[in-house]
Amino acid sequence: MRPLAFAARSLRREFLHAELATLALALVLAVAALAAVATLATRVERALVASAAELIGGDLALGASQPLPAELVAEAGRRGLATNRSAEFPSVLFAGDRSQLADVRASDAAFPLRGTLEIRDLAGTLREVHAPPPGNVYAERSALVALGVSIGATVQIGGRDLVVAGEITKAPDNGNLFRLAPRVLMHIDDAEASGLLGVGSRARHRLLLAGDMGAIEGYATWAKARLPDGARITTIEQAQQNLRRAFERGESFLRLAALLAALLSGVAIALAAQRFARRKTSEVALLRCLGARRGEILVALLLELALLALPACLLGLALGLGLQQLVLGLASGLLPGAAPPLPWGPPLAAFAVGLAVLFGFAMPPLLRLRDVEPMRVFRRDVGTRVRRFDVLYLLPLVVGALLVFYGAGNMRLAGTLALGFAAVALATFVLGLGLLALVRRGASRLRGALRFGLANLARRRALTLLQTGALALSLTALALLGVVGPSLLERWRADLPPETPNWFVVNLQTDQRDTLRQRLESLGASNLNLLPLAVGKLVAVNGAEPRLQDPEERREAADRGQGEIRLSWSEALPEANELTAGHWFDAGTTGPSASVEQVWVERYGIRLGDTLTIGVGEREIEAKVTSLRKVEWDAFRANFFLMLDPGTGASLPHSHIASFHLAGDHSEALATLSRDLPNLSLIDLNAILDRVRDIIGRVSAAVSWVLGFSLLAGVLVLLAALAATADERRFEAALLRTLGAHGRQLAVAVLAEFGALGLLSGAISVVAAAAIGKTLAGSVFDLPGYAPPIVPLAVLVAGAALLVALAGWIGTLRIARTSPMVVLRRG
Amino acid sequence: MDTGFALEASEVSKVVEGPDGRLTILDRVSLAVAHGDSLAIVGASGSGKTTLLGLLAGLDRPSSGTISLAGERLDQLDEEARARLRRSRVGFVFQGFHLLPALNAEENVMLPLDLDGRDDARERAADALQRVGLGARRHHYPSQLSGGEQQRVALARAFVHGPGLLFADEPTGNLDQRTGGGVGDLLFELNREHGTTLVLVTHDAKLAARCARSLQLREGRIAGDRE
Repeated sequence: MRPLAFAARSLRREFLHAELATLALALVLAVAALAAVATLATRVERALVASAAELIGGDLALGASQPLPAELVAEAGRRGLATNRSAEFPSVLFAGDRSQLADVRASDAAFPLRGTLEIRDLAGTLREVHAPPPGNVYAERSALVALGVSIGATVQIGGRDLVVAGEITKAPDNGNLFRLAPRVLMHIDDAEASGLLGVGSRARHRLLLAGDMGAIEGYATWAKARLPDGARITTIEQAQQNLRRAFERGESFLRLAALLAALLSGVAIALAAQRFARRKTSEVALLRCLGARRGEILVALLLELALLALPACLLGLALGLGLQQLVLGLASGLLPGAAPPLPWGPPLAAFAVGLAVLFGFAMPPLLRLRDVEPMRVFRRDVGTRVRRFDVLYLLPLVVGALLVFYGAGNMRLAGTLALGFAAVALATFVLGLGLLALVRRGASRLRGALRFGLANLARRRALTLLQTGALALSLTALALLGVVGPSLLERWRADLPPETPNWFVVNLQTDQRDTLRQRLESLGASNLNLLPLAVGKLVAVNGAEPRLQDPEERREAADRGQGEIRLSWSEALPEANELTAGHWFDAGTTGPSASVEQVWVERYGIRLGDTLTIGVGEREIEAKVTSLRKVEWDAFRANFFLMLDPGTGASLPHSHIASFHLAGDHSEALATLSRDLPNLSLIDLNAILDRVRDIIGRVSAAVSWVLGFSLLAGVLVLLAALAATADERRFEAALLRTLGAHGRQLAVAVLAEFGALGLLSGAISVVAAAAIGKTLAGSVFDLPGYAPPIVPLAVLVAGAALLVALAGWIGTLRIARTSPMVVLRRG
Repeated sequence: MDTGFALEASEVSKVVEGPDGRLTILDRVSLAVAHGDSLAIVGASGSGKTTLLGLLAGLDRPSSGTISLAGERLDQLDEEARARLRRSRVGFVFQGFHLLPALNAEENVMLPLDLDGRDDARERAADALQRVGLGARRHHYPSQLSGGEQQRVALARAFVHGPGLLFADEPTGNLDQRTGGGVGDLLFELNREHGTTLVLVTHDAKLAARCARSLQLREGRIAGDRE
């Protein structure tokens, strides 16, 4: 036998058959979805990473408390990387009799390597620039307002007179969210000459690098081994907690969408392959009868699939790349900067994953054909016994699981999906058996076509369970893509409501609270939140020196020295805090008690009931841990790792921290406020809030596109699979027609059968999608309090179930138009 | 060991597990067919004809007894070896034609030659189709042929590789009387031309009468043997 020639001959006529057409279409869509989503995800991700690079001003940052060794710079040059050397330190600016603490960056002229530094110059025009030349500074507006100077004036830093050459309107910010002071940029030569970087300075030295990503990664690996003590590397992924979270969420959404599209295709392929194998059974029996070997037949079948798969994958690839280009074109405004070039990895991976999905899901029924007895040519019932268990059935599960774990790139996402889908399969099996038992018992009481339709379900028990399972999984995936995904995105956007505090006040004294409150009220501020703030030190945990659990963190902390901690107290559990163990302080709280946030629980291994020794000034307090908390850190509120009971807290020397929301530009009024209460530090969060909102908006818009596309692919695959399974019923329908059934009776039979399938799988998938959505919101997307929208879910799934029934019905409509004889003769 | 018979069965039984316990389909059937001879197996539905045919052709294994085909003991061969034997020595004709719908007439006829790895498959298939009067329809697919034409293609396929033995299962069962008669004529003509040993299962008394011998099966046992 020449398997290839045989496969090619068979395919020439068979590729138009419903099941092979479905298989090819599913494959085209799977590869198209995977290629489009993976490529788009990679490009969007790269664009976002590039924008992260803009935030830190380079592709990689090295930071240390001493100047970085020259060899680090030299090596970067050898590797063709651009470098920028700078130092950051707090310093006081003077202008006349006014002074202002500033966050100073002293840099060479290369800053920034990535991103934009934009200033308003003396003429009032906005210009993109690099760090100022020696003798000049750029400063943020709040610094200029506080000093009462304008552009062109002279200020003093470190005893040197420098000209304010521009007002900073936009600058890479090192991912530093909470700045205590306005930013000022000067030339590093001025800082060195003035002794600001000398021995004992608190400067943090930085080396920024930019260049080819491969070279950057190589350099990072090289540098890691040669870093001086206390130096650390910041990659752009680590750049900024809030933005990182946004990227991670975006990436998880994209991966989720791609994964579900691939799984949906797998389900369609499995259904089509099942049907293909069933049709091929007689053919295999004949070939065996004529003396073909098992191996030859299997090779021929696999070759036939491969011959179909290769062009289908190529077509899918072309379609996917075209689609992602289209989406990218339509969404060009969403991406920060120009779209990165087309990466080759994801499309090739999509091609390979498509083939893996095809063979993983199609192999079991094909391999089962090995067992076809040649005697089957005489008697159709020979060798059709279904073995109760076959290890082959595990293959799609293994491929599906590998796909989930490979595609998710995140164990929590993978675990939630794997468990969720396993639960759907189990529920289908248990509830399906229950439904079949009910049908068996109840169908005899029904009449006519309705009974025939339902009896069909019970007669083909294994097939019914398989189809219900496939439908439930597909509908769950569709519900996740169509309803849960978008509502999670909506919930994410709502993370930063319009009233989010955009100003912080620190160093507020107890007797200034009322003044501040009145002044803010008169300006129209809202959402004012005041908390006491004490500064102390964690001395001991259970009498022993606190020990960091993570060795890397321990090394860094050793360099930094055990720093100050800020702590607070409150009668009520503050907003954006959630108790995870114990209970909040109340009248029954006796003796000093503490509440510890999750990060510290992990960092120091603190447990409920431990005793913390906290030093504040000269005092040492021994507080018992009575509760553990989880804080939503990106809620833009003052939050604390450590909180004490109000009784203990009030006895400590403290100031206050306030956060509030103030719309519009009130620079003058706020400057007056800080002059009247000179000890106050006002922190402007507007810029960072805008940036976070911008990123969230862009990421979620891009994700919406991807979700939408996966959803479309999913619907198409589901329809294709249904058309093939509806084909199953054509023979029975033709038989009924021959016996005189009219169109309406046929429709009732099919609608009853498919309606029951759709209803059961729909009910399971609503519950499953809601549960998976809720779990994903909590464990992967970190969006606590997310409630899955049950009504839209139910509507979507009811619609899909209706679609299932309609697809079955449409399948029989064709029969009503053709002669039953034709169908019956074909078998 | 060649006994001089093309086919020989000795004390062949087939027992299967049914829902009501063990069911004996064939009970100690023995027969021998000489080279070039023709044997009809007749009997009512369920008498075990088709099971016997399947066993004789090596498509299934008997529960007990031995079968020799072309001098080879089938019980001593595994399934792959039996497949090899069928490929080179045996031809089949079925009631339901069993043409592969995806292949055209010529390609269907080529199958046994292809399976045997012959290089001249296409030419020989074309000749065989010519012989059964379908030379002009060799590129037609089974769905484009009538029942009689399909069975003629099946006959061409059965003889194309010059098998020593031909097994036919109700070859005219799906055809009307006239067409069936034509197909029967063709079957015996080809059988004569090729000197093939023929084992034929049929309900058709006329067809059975054209065989040299006829074996009557009743409830799995030989009830009569007509020379």
